[in-house]
Amino acid sequence: MGKVRRISGCVAAAEAVRLADVDVISSYPIRPYTGIMSELARMIADGRLNAELVYAEGEHAQLSIVYGASAAGARTFTGSSGVGVTFAFEVYSPISGERLPVQMAIGDRTLDPPGDFGSEHTDAECCRDQGWIQGWAATPQEVLDMHLIYYRVGEDPKVMLPQYVCQDGYFVTHILGDVEVPDEAQVKEFLPPYKNHHVLDPKKPQIIGPQIEPCMGPPQQYQRKQAFDNINEVLIKAHDEFARIFGRRYDPFLEEFMTDDAEVVIFGQGAHMNTAKAVAARLRNLGDKVGVVRLRTFRPFPTDEILKRMSRFKAVGVVDNSAQFGISGGAGVLFSEVRTALYDVGDKVRTVGFVGGLGGEMITHDEFLKMFRKLQEVAKTGKVEKRAYWLPFEL
Amino acid sequence: MSEFERIPSIKKAPDEEYYVPGHRTCAGCGPALCYRLVAKAAGPNTIFIGPTGCMYVANTSYGCGPWRVPWIHAQITNGGGVASGIETAYRMLIKKGKYNGEQPNVIVMAGDGGAVDIGLQSLSGMLYRGHKVLFICYDNESYANTGIQVSPTTPYGAWTTFTPAGEVIPEGRKHFPKDNAKIVAHGHPYLKYVATGSIGYPVDLMNKVRKGLAQEGPAYLHLHAPCPKGWQFPPDKTIEMAKLAVQTGMYQLYEFENGKYTLSVQLKERKPVIEYMKHQKRFAHLKPEHIEKMQAFVDAKCAEVGITVPVVAAAQ
Repeated sequence: MGKVRRISGCVAAAEAVRLADVDVISSYPIRPYTGIMSELARMIADGRLNAELVYAEGEHAQLSIVYGASAAGARTFTGSSGVGVTFAFEVYSPISGERLPVQMAIGDRTLDPPGDFGSEHTDAECCRDQGWIQGWAATPQEVLDMHLIYYRVGEDPKVMLPQYVCQDGYFVTHILGDVEVPDEAQVKEFLPPYKNHHVLDPKKPQIIGPQIEPCMGPPQQYQRKQAFDNINEVLIKAHDEFARIFGRRYDPFLEEFMTDDAEVVIFGQGAHMNTAKAVAARLRNLGDKVGVVRLRTFRPFPTDEILKRMSRFKAVGVVDNSAQFGISGGAGVLFSEVRTALYDVGDKVRTVGFVGGLGGEMITHDEFLKMFRKLQEVAKTGKVEKRAYWLPFEL
Repeated sequence: MSEFERIPSIKKAPDEEYYVPGHRTCAGCGPALCYRLVAKAAGPNTIFIGPTGCMYVANTSYGCGPWRVPWIHAQITNGGGVASGIETAYRMLIKKGKYNGEQPNVIVMAGDGGAVDIGLQSLSGMLYRGHKVLFICYDNESYANTGIQVSPTTPYGAWTTFTPAGEVIPEGRKHFPKDNAKIVAHGHPYLKYVATGSIGYPVDLMNKVRKGLAQEGPAYLHLHAPCPKGWQFPPDKTIEMAKLAVQTGMYQLYEFENGKYTLSVQLKERKPVIEYMKHQKRFAHLKPEHIEKMQAFVDAKCAEVGITVPVVAAAQ
């Protein structure tokens, strides 16, 4: 059994990397994810982790280094925040396209402007369609667990895809929580050693990433899509195994809170959903039938799960902690995609989008209360007067 | 530096080829000849990294490639970074008992864009961290696979589609080129070996590859690789152009170690630059004053590395 430590999301991520026996790590400093690398550097200096930390000259280089290292057969780790995430953008598709199961932590931060250090999901959501598995952890414990689960899923021979493990800047990266750090034997049972069959090895020469002709494009992209289609099955199995070995069970796709007889729910991802849950619990005390659904796996987006499990609610309020200008629906990407997922149930479920917490601002109890009240009004009247609200200006 | 086997002559060079027929480079391609010589000198325990450029596009089209050793594509931006990752991975996997074999030679084959321009930051990062990687620039003096556009190593006065000559800009290319070997040579503490080479001098080139690979840390080679298509000369003149570049001093062959330049070819005299330029239509629009400017620039570059022999025009 592991032992419980009170640590931040950053330290929890580093503990997972240590337990995963990673070989090559590439670093570059940017708040708020930096603490992960500082912790790993200390582990290496103290002899607790046998890995090399390569000091990249920027985020683009970070991703380039792990691309090469993963292709040479090493288990790899990197990470970033904010504009660092977007600076590396060129390398994301080559990594997934060459089917290299690199893992990257993202400690969310706004892009510039506003240039503060605050958390927004905008950075990580920019990369949402690059062929990487992607999900948000809402507590330090979940950070540690998600890193381990994603290594296993990404390295599965049916998948072989890279993974972003995202956590809200400060709200998770810098907040302490009680974390059960598992022991190495448990992790060994859960996570087999990395084995890629497409490795750069002079004993078995092969070429990786040749230029192709247009006629070879459709099958190559389709193979990446098929690998993506395999994720859910592997993800479910990994969560079952995780529960068996570590005793913690997560729903792989949607965490439901007080939803049993709920009429309206708030839907979102990341740490702001902790606040939403607190407000939902207060409203339950007043007799309101409200709940919270927290998305855990953002890519692949669990369209079928949402359709199956959320068509029982009268109104769903989708909270986007991101700035996406001109997007369909007028809120953010979660709203747009939840509406798409629920399209087949028609008017049965009303949806409303809320954009909040931009620039690292809190989404307050009061704001969540207003959102729940708005949803109750929509559920009662069956009418959506306004599709999307930017907080705090429009609600 | 560890011991390495010197190749005494072209006849005694290894027979084995690791860059083999089956590619789609232009007739008379200088960079393809570079690749063949580099692969021959490096041998089988080698991994090539190919940033986007001619040697990616022309070698790997249709999903196959002409290497008998592993090769991986890198972006034009990140040859140094990808090589850093591969070198580190092998070092760690061997250290941790996860790979049973020798550390392979890791060689980046970048064009002038991938080495001198958009890829320079990645090269510098790799050199400064001290990875045991041989970074080679095959310099054909333009972005050639995109259809001949100016790069930082395009000579003064050369036509490219981005530097056409016209009434307002009679010389076309106005800038003098960037000298990457010197840029990298002086500021990277682990870089102990920098050399220039030319396909006109293949034995010298192959021995520089071996010497580069024998270093404890990184090494940088800048190889002159004439391009018939971009420079507009007949494809059977590639080697002649390479030799003329050295004989005129347009391209200087040297090794740089311990703060000192050692010349690789002892010239008795230098030919005037016009002897090189007149064969290439990329310079055809230049006027005498432009040629004079070029001669003065080349004289200064030669003096920098210790080529002091006089310029002697051929007897009429």
